[in-house]
Amino acid sequence: MYKQHGESFTPMKTYQPFHSRFDPCRPIGKKYYSTPPHLYLGFQPPGLKQFPAQEALLRGTLWEFLYDYYENPYESKRRTTE
Amino acid sequence: MKQLPDDYYQCLSNIQAADFVLVELTLYLDTHQDDIQAMEQFNQYAQYSKQLKQEFEAKYGPLLQYGNSYTDANWSWAKSPWPWQV
Repeated sequence: MYKQHGESFTPMKTYQPFHSRFDPCRPIGKKYYSTPPHLYLGFQPPGLKQFPAQEALLRGTLWEFLYDYYENPYESKRRTTE
Repeated sequence: MKQLPDDYYQCLSNIQAADFVLVELTLYLDTHQDDIQAMEQFNQYAQYSKQLKQEFEAKYGPLLQYGNSYTDANWSWAKSPWPWQV
């Protein structure tokens, strides 16, 4: 699904912030940031596959490629750590 | 309290979907003025949206005011439900 110009890409990426030993808060570990498909598209080519009208309304975009499903990565993490 | 028929919501939802497609196509065509296929789709949906609105207004009264919609026989635009109450 996530493939453009032959390479695939991920809609979500992570990084590890530095956690000092004097940091009073519990280390958050991994932080996440969203990288939606349009970043990898460049100028939109004509004739991209489209959602049907009703579904496009629910998904927030007419073009399947640009649909960016967001799931809170911290939610699943919170359930496991606490 | 008289409730609205399901068809009322179904028609509104269809209108909303058609208008969303028109918004998306408008934004797309702003930067792709040579995409004939998209322009054809735009005109199809523009016509489809007009038709949906006519059907809705025939059954449930005007959607817009100040001449943007025809009035019904009892000038009922000011009667509830208002859009935010629907």
